Amino acid sequence: MHNKNKKILPFLYLLPTAILLIVFMIIPIIYTFYLSFFDWNLIAPTKEFVGLRNYIEVFTNPVNQKVILNTLIYIFFLIVLNFLVPYFISLIVKFFIKKMQGAYKVLFFIPSLFSLVVGAMLFTWILNPVSGPIAYVMKNLGMTMPNWSNSGILAITVICFITNWKVFGYNFILLLTGLGSIPTNIIDAAKIDGIPKWRLIWNVILPMNRGIGIYVLILTIVQGLQYVFTPINVITTGGPYYGSSNMIYQTYLNAFVLYKTGTSSALAIVTFVVFLVLLFIEIRFVEGKAKKYV
Amino acid sequence: MKNNILKKLLLVMGVMALAVVFTGCGKKTSASSVKHITYWHVNAQTQGGATVDDLVKKFNATHKNIKVTAKYNPDMYKGLMQNLQSAQASGKVPDVTQVGWAYDNYFANNFKYMTPTDAAKKFDNNTKFIDSNFTKRTLSFAKDSKGHLVGLPYSLSTPVLFVNKDILSKYNINENSLATWEGIKTASKTIHDQSGKYGLYIQEPGDTWAQQAVMLSNGANIQKNGKAAFASSNGVAAYKYYQEMVTSKLALHTPWAQGMDSFIKGDVAMAFTTIAQASHIKKSASFNASAIVAPHFENHKTVVPVGGSMLAITARDPDQQKAAWEFEKWMYKADSAVTWSKGTGYLPPTKIALESDSFKAYVKENPMLDPAVKTLDNAIPWTSFPKKGLEAEQSMIDARDKILSGSDVQSTLKAAQDNINAQQK
Repeated sequence: MHNKNKKILPFLYLLPTAILLIVFMIIPIIYTFYLSFFDWNLIAPTKEFVGLRNYIEVFTNPVNQKVILNTLIYIFFLIVLNFLVPYFISLIVKFFIKKMQGAYKVLFFIPSLFSLVVGAMLFTWILNPVSGPIAYVMKNLGMTMPNWSNSGILAITVICFITNWKVFGYNFILLLTGLGSIPTNIIDAAKIDGIPKWRLIWNVILPMNRGIGIYVLILTIVQGLQYVFTPINVITTGGPYYGSSNMIYQTYLNAFVLYKTGTSSALAIVTFVVFLVLLFIEIRFVEGKAKKYV
Repeated sequence: MKNNILKKLLLVMGVMALAVVFTGCGKKTSASSVKHITYWHVNAQTQGGATVDDLVKKFNATHKNIKVTAKYNPDMYKGLMQNLQSAQASGKVPDVTQVGWAYDNYFANNFKYMTPTDAAKKFDNNTKFIDSNFTKRTLSFAKDSKGHLVGLPYSLSTPVLFVNKDILSKYNINENSLATWEGIKTASKTIHDQSGKYGLYIQEPGDTWAQQAVMLSNGANIQKNGKAAFASSNGVAAYKYYQEMVTSKLALHTPWAQGMDSFIKGDVAMAFTTIAQASHIKKSASFNASAIVAPHFENHKTVVPVGGSMLAITARDPDQQKAAWEFEKWMYKADSAVTWSKGTGYLPPTKIALESDSFKAYVKENPMLDPAVKTLDNAIPWTSFPKKGLEAEQSMIDARDKILSGSDVQSTLKAAQDNINAQQK
């Protein structure tokens, strides 16, 4: 009897979380998968079964192809701005700057407390190519600010900078904490051996901080693609001609603006699979590393 | 002694319990005679939400048997439609709902509603209220593709040309010359050549309402017999004009918020946008601003699509429908409609309200509204294609984006038109 209880008890403890996960995650994902085989406008009593048409459309429609390419560009910019730059700065703060480490943490973290909607509106004003403060300064210097909202690549860059403003501090603190957890005796030993600082970072610190590094990298991509949704929605609505749209915004556009749930669900499932692959990588590196220490 | 206290305590508790029971009964009796209805709207506090609350409060104070609860839906008509979908799925629908013109056919084809004509016939035994309050033109705005009245027009707006009078006078530009798009081009060139500023901004939100007005005012049709027809020679000519204005830097091509910001800061001389921007311009512009009637091309007249929304009865229960109809009728009273107009910047939809002294006085105080009122006579329904109307609007947005990025006008418009017509089969 006691043994039986012992077996059931862990499942009982897990039950509340499991119910929440099933209701809010598993069932919606299954239903989205189901909807991806239909043509339905969210409200009509009948759904037309279209087989794989929605998936074929995801990969063959020129707009979707453009959006997939944009998503890759977004990932590239997000990795540079929200992962490599904060990593670089955190290394400098940790190993090259001795004073005011706490102040840097606070300063960098402040923007992450603000809503992205506020950020998007603020940057819309600051970066107005005709009447914004930067445009006025450039005009006084005899330069003209490019009309970035009319160019897909410039719009993507600006949108990534806006998310960078929000995410930078958080990623910086995570990476800095990771760097702080590396045993100092290893670093001291390397210093005594006279290893140059760049080799210490490249051969000792970065490999030892790999777990946190990969975690922040995955977070940068998965969370970053979701974060850019807000400035896209507020500033460009995916334009010019889908030039700044990504797969997440396109999923939203199809679902809640055009009411094409089939196409939207197919896009969502494809994005989900991409994220699953990233999650697999994260588990492989981060959790794998954790196991080694057990 | 102890027993006495206990008895008293029990007595007090008994009296209190009875009071609670009777109060409950009393409430139940009164509740059964009061009809509770909900009104879904899209007006945030900055967009007339306070006026909606005031109107509802006044209605509730004067109608003891009906209690209206107003519910604000964020993200405008799109957000409201999303909430309405969930409400329909759960069976708890609102009783009166604001529906944007772009959603006219989508709403009519997918939701259950009571037409105003049915409501008037059922509860008033005649359609006098509708006939006497609305012009045929105004009613045409609220009809679906089959010609059935879906709701009653509630908020009306038209595009107007806002002008920076200081810039115009500085470069000796006569306001009368801005009645045509050709005149606007000449004025824009003068302004651009002499100051480097942009002459014109045409609003670019997530719809092509303003661009449709430009095409319509060149004699083009957006749709004919339920099919897209905007790629006509007149439609193409209108868009070519717009494209040339943008490529020669006479017109600014930028998202709506930035475009309006540039106009308000005096970097753009004219803005072709909705009259609903009037109060924002009045409050924010540091220059002398005014509005003129939407321009037209030479040898054509001004034609604009109407903007705004209608009120639809979505109540299912006959008693609720009756209460909803009472509420709607009250909302269309001259006083209510003028209050609504003052709070939101929209034009009132009824003849009585438009001709009322209070509205006339309001227009006198706010002369920027005058051209919008005049344009109402030239307004036509906002194009709503019978099938896949929302995708059709997106095709037109895509065409606008492509053309303003330099694509060939004729082939782009033709492709968009063919795409929309393929969906109408």
